[in-house]
Amino acid sequence: MTLPTLWLTIARKEFADALRSRMIWGIVGIIAVMSSLSAGISLLVPDVEGGAEMAIGGASQFAGLLVPIMALIAAYLAIAGERESGSLKVILGLPPSRGEVLLGKFLGRSGVVAIGLSLGFVVSGVVTVILYGGLPMVAFIGTTVLTVLLGVSFVGIAIGISAVTATRARAMTLAITAYLGLTLLWDLAPNAVHLLITGEMPGGVVPAWFLLLEGLSPTGAYNALVQRLLLGSGAAVDARIGGPAPSYLDPAVFLGILFAWAVVPLLVGYLRFRRADLS
Amino acid sequence: MVAIQTDGLTKRFGSGEAGVLALNDLDLTVEEGEVFGFLGPNGAGKSTTINILLNFIDPTAGSAEVLGHDVQTESKQVRQRTGVLPEGAEAFERLTPREHIAWVEDAKGIDADTDAILDTVGIADAADRKAGGFSKGMQQRLGLGMALAGDPDLLILDEPSSGLDPTGMKEMRQLIREQAASGTTVFFSSHILSEVEAVCDRVAILNRGRLVAIDSIDGLRDALGTGSTMTLTVDAVPDSLTLAEIAGVSDVVVDGRIIRVSVDDAPAKVDVIDRIRDDGASILDVTIEESSLEDLFSAYTGDVPPRVNGTEVER
Repeated sequence: MTLPTLWLTIARKEFADALRSRMIWGIVGIIAVMSSLSAGISLLVPDVEGGAEMAIGGASQFAGLLVPIMALIAAYLAIAGERESGSLKVILGLPPSRGEVLLGKFLGRSGVVAIGLSLGFVVSGVVTVILYGGLPMVAFIGTTVLTVLLGVSFVGIAIGISAVTATRARAMTLAITAYLGLTLLWDLAPNAVHLLITGEMPGGVVPAWFLLLEGLSPTGAYNALVQRLLLGSGAAVDARIGGPAPSYLDPAVFLGILFAWAVVPLLVGYLRFRRADLS
Repeated sequence: MVAIQTDGLTKRFGSGEAGVLALNDLDLTVEEGEVFGFLGPNGAGKSTTINILLNFIDPTAGSAEVLGHDVQTESKQVRQRTGVLPEGAEAFERLTPREHIAWVEDAKGIDADTDAILDTVGIADAADRKAGGFSKGMQQRLGLGMALAGDPDLLILDEPSSGLDPTGMKEMRQLIREQAASGTTVFFSSHILSEVEAVCDRVAILNRGRLVAIDSIDGLRDALGTGSTMTLTVDAVPDSLTLAEIAGVSDVVVDGRIIRVSVDDAPAKVDVIDRIRDDGASILDVTIEESSLEDLFSAYTGDVPPRVNGTEVER
């Protein structure tokens, strides 16, 4: 028998393990319930004209907050937990290299998060059809794909964190820090920079770099991309900065940022994990 | 053929004053087909050595080869041909033993006779139960089963009997003998002498990171013979210690300011004392004990009180 593709073997095992732990169903359930609720919420508010696009927009708002924490929880212990319990030595006593273990865990957990999010969105899509009598497929599928990308970015961040920490407690500290920093505190950064440079808080019209700063976090990039997708044009951006958008506010840039957030933490984690003392 | 060879293997954890020298200049050769016992108290550096052999940690100095492969640059080949039972191996709680063996098959690209293996290690009854509820002993048996899968050329077992009851320990010894009979090299660590005595062709005794003895069980016995062990505390160990030349002295070990001399002939004891004085040292204390194999082990390792950070050394 030839040597198997070891990272694929590990990814499969990770995925099967997540199915057994019912983690994936937790993700499906939470996303389905929360995004359905937020899709329906505009119907509950009187005097608000809500359409299906708005419902998807509402769901994406929730997803921007929920998906990072779920992806972090799904993956932050992938390596650190097994390192603390000693079962990492069982895996690394077998032929897989540390790089293969890291890649396999990233792909396996990404698969879990991706499938969990997609199924959750399918449920909320059905709810949207029931409530609004229709569903704009391009916007819906696009938002689902972007949400999966956001989830995968945070899985990359979580695996990177897991690879540089030796204990569960430390991994948890870093995961919480990453969540607070990247989803909640990041929004303050552009405001602070704006205040420093111009001496006043940002008003209705902001400089173009302000939007780039906002979109440098994974959640910021996700929000920029979803907005662009749902509106179908960059009109909102042009209005916000009071003129034509520079090329660095192109959706491709934000897509690149989202990818970079998946890959860079993974690489940093790998470089640290590659020669770490596992004792 | 050589199964395991280490050359000046040294590992220091941390640096400066706070650093701990976990392994100090270890030279070790294990021949293929041997059952080799790696003996020493907790914190002696046994797990550190095994962790280096499996590329879990990098040595600070020195090198090691397993089955002809460098442990750092060719670790994959090492682990492909070796069955490993890591220290304190924990099973995957959501997998059954059968799935554990299947996982080893996938990772090594081999086909194993799962039922036979699980029967050998005595957990055939639990083959399809999730390992989450397994006792320490059952996890240890499962870990051993995973090590045996694919009939590897070399077994590296870190404290294989930990967590096992006396029956389990006996079965473990029987299993090691069977593996050896089929040509497998077995390298296992233990802090229990009787365990290695019963199955090993040769043993190495490690204490505080240093190799203090390496011989066959019979060799160790012969070396002791009907003789005794002298433990001499001196003010300073002379540079030119010439004790080994004395007729009747079979072994000399220096550890700090303590000199241990194995003596076969009773009259040689006085010669030893005279010679140390001639070499220029003052003797502060002398104890003499008639030796058994247990005494040998404790003489090499037991007189030093366990260090407070002993568990930390054994990382």
